[in-house]
Amino acid sequence: MRADATLAWALLRGSDRREWWRTSLTALGALLATFLGLAAVTVGTVSGHTQVPYGNGLLDEAGTRMGVVVALLGLLIPVLGFLGQCARLGAVHRDRRLAALRLAGATPAQVRRIAALESGFACLAGAVLALCGFVVLLLAATHTARPPLAWLGYAVVTLGVPAVAVLVSVLALRRVVASPLGWVRRTRPERSTTGVAFTAAGMLAIGGAVAALLIRGSSASAALFPLAFVAALALSGLAAVSVAGASAKLLGKRLATSSRPAVLIAAGRLRMDPWAASRTHASVLLVTVVAVGFMGLWQLTRAQTAAGVILAENADYYLGGYHLTGLGLLLALAISLGALAIGTAESLTTRRRALAAQAAAGVPRSVLRRALLLETALPLAPAVLLAGVGGMGLYATYASMMATVAMPVVLPLLTPLLVYAICLLAAAASLPLLRRAVRPAELRHE
Amino acid sequence: MSTQQGAPLIAARDLTKTYGRTGAALRGACVELAAGEILAVTGASGSGKSTLLHCLAGIVTPDEGAVVYGQRRLDQLSEADRTLLRRTDFGVVFQFGQLIPELTALDNAALPLLLAGTSRGQARERADAWLERFGVRGQAELRPGEMSGGQAQRVALARALVTEPKAVFADEPTGALDSLAGEQVMTALVHTAREAGTAVLLVTHDAQTAAYADREVELRDGTVLEVAEAPDLAETAQPTEAPQVTEAGHEG
Amino acid sequence: MSTRHVLLGLLATGPSHGYDLKRRHDARFPQARPLAYGQVYTTLQRLVRDGLAEVEGTDADGGPERTRYRATDEGARELADWLGRIAPPAPFVTNEIFAKVVVAILTATAGAPADPAAYLRDQRAAHKARMRELTAVKANPDADLATVLSADYALHHLDADLRWMTTTAGRLPALTQEIQHP
Repeated sequence: MRADATLAWALLRGSDRREWWRTSLTALGALLATFLGLAAVTVGTVSGHTQVPYGNGLLDEAGTRMGVVVALLGLLIPVLGFLGQCARLGAVHRDRRLAALRLAGATPAQVRRIAALESGFACLAGAVLALCGFVVLLLAATHTARPPLAWLGYAVVTLGVPAVAVLVSVLALRRVVASPLGWVRRTRPERSTTGVAFTAAGMLAIGGAVAALLIRGSSASAALFPLAFVAALALSGLAAVSVAGASAKLLGKRLATSSRPAVLIAAGRLRMDPWAASRTHASVLLVTVVAVGFMGLWQLTRAQTAAGVILAENADYYLGGYHLTGLGLLLALAISLGALAIGTAESLTTRRRALAAQAAAGVPRSVLRRALLLETALPLAPAVLLAGVGGMGLYATYASMMATVAMPVVLPLLTPLLVYAICLLAAAASLPLLRRAVRPAELRHE
Repeated sequence: MSTQQGAPLIAARDLTKTYGRTGAALRGACVELAAGEILAVTGASGSGKSTLLHCLAGIVTPDEGAVVYGQRRLDQLSEADRTLLRRTDFGVVFQFGQLIPELTALDNAALPLLLAGTSRGQARERADAWLERFGVRGQAELRPGEMSGGQAQRVALARALVTEPKAVFADEPTGALDSLAGEQVMTALVHTAREAGTAVLLVTHDAQTAAYADREVELRDGTVLEVAEAPDLAETAQPTEAPQVTEAGHEG
Repeated sequence: MSTRHVLLGLLATGPSHGYDLKRRHDARFPQARPLAYGQVYTTLQRLVRDGLAEVEGTDADGGPERTRYRATDEGARELADWLGRIAPPAPFVTNEIFAKVVVAILTATAGAPADPAAYLRDQRAAHKARMRELTAVKANPDADLATVLSADYALHHLDADLRWMTTTAGRLPALTQEIQHP
């Protein structure tokens, strides 16, 4: 075990800049996840009726506090998507390195331990940093001492995040470490399971936790509605993700006969790896579903206030809650966009040799640029559309059950368009990397 | 004492291996590697050379046939046992890519020892001696990306030999090098292997690289053709000389 | 190879007598056929006749009398000229192996007991054995640079032969077909 730790440390120390990026981003993801967990524990361990000077009174009552905990847990979903993308960063390189270790005589268990220690180190650093920051905030902001249960929760969260990361990477690396010839027989990078495993395991856990919190203490019939709601949300997210993959496949096939070079290149790429798009866009699509629904409800509440259905003295309380939720959604969107930009950058750097060869062979840079953007834009359009429809469906169902005023539709309809535009901007943010990637010097690298 | 005349170090019988839909890579290949022998395996690309090497080194298991190493059936050992064997008894050198880019030349060469649990100081000391033998001690603290291809291959040789294995498996070790760098790598490999009494299985498509071996077999369509000794040259041929060097190495 | 120019080159490094020249030639060109003393003697005579070398004196030091030669200025010019002149890149294939294979294919298709494939197989084995020998000579740590250079030269030429034979072996069926059904 000591030898493994020594090796993991030597590998981490010898990492080049690209690997350091991956490690830092992973640490950042762990930091975010830990922070959210710590916040959830803090809110969750407040008991009874209190007077909290923030959050428009949302933290005063046990019932709304539970809603805040659910929202904080929900925010973990985009964070997990982000961590999944980080795991994908440099995955080809890492898999090769692990195969080389196997070739040198490392046992599969040894390789798994070394790789897990590497990601464990990164996540532990992020988690400890988050704890330090959180404790400072806590000491500065609260007037009452935290119950011992809260401190236990903090410890569990801080140690749990890196532990889960280690566990997930051990599971995800199962296939990679099986063959010392991984890199010899593999002509193109296989889909890495790390990201998928990260995201799927996390989403399942969070979904379960949210559902459990929502139905806690309620009767079977009362539990049905929130359960159905969570399920519908998950379903429309899932449908949007699969549409992204399927449409990438279809578009790749359809556009392969295009006479425009940029479209042709993008189509070839989509055909080769149709699920890359859905992986990258999963959390964006989920956020879109929620955002469309949220925009609708927000508009509805405002309309109800204006119509006097909701009393003015209560309106501040409701709208304050909406603003807080909106802030959370914006945060989720930002994290998802970060993951999307990382995904585009990763796709660009792993292909930099091929791109450099294209540029050297005379393909104009503008064509490559357009091809890269199309690669994101083409499969995202139908997926965002479906996510919008799903969100609208949820909103309409709720509104028709509750509302006594006309259902406002402008903002919810605009939301998918807005998300789509921002996604394209995020993808474009990685384009400056293209300039570096197509330098002829890249042709010299292996 | 001498295993030269007795049972071979590694013997493969009737190996068959098929990869996906690409057709059989090996169909009934037989080959024997004597202790301390340098054996070249040649053949056109796609003739199954590399697959044969992978089977003999226990990196992959054949679909059918037997690989016997000492008293053991390599093809029936578990992955864990084969991994252990690769670390203690075998060394591998490929065309490129077997070095770990994050580690220095010295750490790369010490890697098999580190994996076996040798202390870092001791492992580095032994690896250093091997880098010296291959003339790349001056590059000890460089990473693979900072060396020439020939230097990197010599570091790879040091890593393959650092555990003083019974056999080294070299798959196109000079494939990515120019002829002069390739010659240096081959000379270093052959000398060191003879001195240490290590057997070498050398896979190459290049006749000049194959000529460093004591003996050559040719693969065609997944079966092994023994390259016959030319009748008029049998008396003067080098292979009869080589084992003496090897045996002397064994004693030492 | 021009023995005349090689001897002139050896003389250019300093005056020397015939026996000494032969020894130095054999040491510098170990893979070439050793020079006969008679050939050295007649070549030196011709060099003197053409004004490229001249007699410098005779030594006895107790043994038989030996003539010492040296290169003239014209000899130095001729040598420089030869060294700068490129050799014709072998416009005709006159190799025995090539001739044998062609004749074997021709006669085999006519029904004679010739087997070009077997011949190629044996010839390739012989080439490979010779290549292993030369490589062993070259890889010997005590080998001097001249030995390594000449072994390299021979190895590359044998390798070229070998490649041609490998390709030809692969083409035999098509070649035979072509000769039988033109």
